[in-house]
Amino acid sequence: MEEKLLDFIRDEFLDDPDTEIDVDTKLISGGMIDSFSLVSLQTFIAKEFGKKIPAPRITAASFDTVRQMVEIINQF
Amino acid sequence: MAYSQKVKNSYLETLQTIKDNGLFKSERLICDVQGADIEVEFPVGSAHKQLINMCSNNYLGLSSHPEIVKAAHEALDYRGYGLSSVRFICGTQDIHKELEKRLSAFLGVDDTILFSSCFDANGAVFETLLDENDIMISDRLVHASIIDGMRLAKAEHDTYKHSDMAHLRKKLEQYQDRPRKIIITDGVFSMDGDIAKLDEIVALAEEFDAMVFVDDSHASGFIGKTGRGVHELCGVMDKIDIITTTFGKALGGASGGCVSGRQELIDLLRQRGRPYLFSNTLAPTITMATMKVLDILEASTERRDKLERNMKWWRTALTEAGFIIVKGDSPIVPVMFYDAKLAQAFSKDLYDEGVYAVGFFFPVVAQGQARIRTQLSAAHEMSHLEKALEVFVKIGKKYDILGKSKEELLQIKL
Ligand SMILES: Cc1ncc(COP(=O)(O)O)c(C=O)c1O
Repeated sequence: MEEKLLDFIRDEFLDDPDTEIDVDTKLISGGMIDSFSLVSLQTFIAKEFGKKIPAPRITAASFDTVRQMVEIINQF
Repeated sequence: MAYSQKVKNSYLETLQTIKDNGLFKSERLICDVQGADIEVEFPVGSAHKQLINMCSNNYLGLSSHPEIVKAAHEALDYRGYGLSSVRFICGTQDIHKELEKRLSAFLGVDDTILFSSCFDANGAVFETLLDENDIMISDRLVHASIIDGMRLAKAEHDTYKHSDMAHLRKKLEQYQDRPRKIIITDGVFSMDGDIAKLDEIVALAEEFDAMVFVDDSHASGFIGKTGRGVHELCGVMDKIDIITTTFGKALGGASGGCVSGRQELIDLLRQRGRPYLFSNTLAPTITMATMKVLDILEASTERRDKLERNMKWWRTALTEAGFIIVKGDSPIVPVMFYDAKLAQAFSKDLYDEGVYAVGFFFPVVAQGQARIRTQLSAAHEMSHLEKALEVFVKIGKKYDILGKSKEELLQIKL
């Protein structure tokens, strides 16, 4: 799951696909993902893992790293 | 007491956080009319300072133009100060319809509806024209007012990488089955000053049966051969479904905005656009002065031509002096420093030396993309630009950054 999320994020959000990111990279507070673009992550998670995460659970604070995302996805 | 100490403290804490992050904004008092030279009081209470203004949206130099001021004076006598009504009750005068007609002709669209601001125009469009089955696909760098407008809509929303047409295509393929699709972009992007690839966007829209929305606030009046906007520049004058723009920048600079486009869309906005239904009509002074702006722009391209000359000169001069600028064809010219501290220090020195241009850092722009945004105006004479350049070079020498690459700039430690 982590690798799939990282691949998606590289492809979807990063202008330079060679930028190093890992499960603890701060994506939103680090300025790589604009919090308003989180919808495409939500769509991806629904399609790829069959998990519909409610929008209020997807915030700049709760979705800042892939590790946090996985934790939340696993609650559903 | 409803406003308890606890509640009060929560706000004080938020304000303190803003200050701690270096993001607290203070207003500078302009003790003058808007123009290339302004007298500024900052901080409040200190001696007034004479500055060259390089940060206004007064692109065409019309904000204090005598003819515009005169038209506004005349409007007071002709149609009064205010109407105390929304448009559809008793707030529509003959001059409002006339301005709508004039704007439609100027922008080359079916019809136009006026709003109190472009922020309101962007707040009305998406909620009114789309429902939960539809999809909005926006460029990632669109203006905050568009983001707020999209938030009000029930339609689903997705984004594409800034000006990345391959990514936009991917998104259009992904949402192909939606009944209504709309591509949403700024004409000129206000942070980088780059221009949307509207011709390519229109081609994709035609291929996928998507509508096209453009916010031309930083383009109307001066981009394109006769200043009609980015759709003129890109040769797609009759292909844009919705254009929003403001009267608060090049077109006089007071306030007000509009949505212009397809007849049915404008008709529906008149029925259901909430900021149109529930907010007061545009003041007669602004309505008539904006018509005067259109008179001036339709009679001659002199002002936008002068702006273009100023822009070319400034872009070349900065580059030759050894600054790194974001390349482009708009009068928004960002000078890159990458490091926030450097940009901040430079901007302060500019101010001390009599040039007013503002620094932008994260989170307004991406991390490591700190810059000073300069904006050209037809109100600038060569003497202003030469003086401003002299100051830029002087401070550039002080920090030893002229001719340096991005990597070298990032190594400077202040
Ligand atoms: C791209 C863009 N759209 C809309 C607006 C808002 O326009 P107004 O000042 O008329 O509300 C602005 C300006 O601040 C802008 O830059």
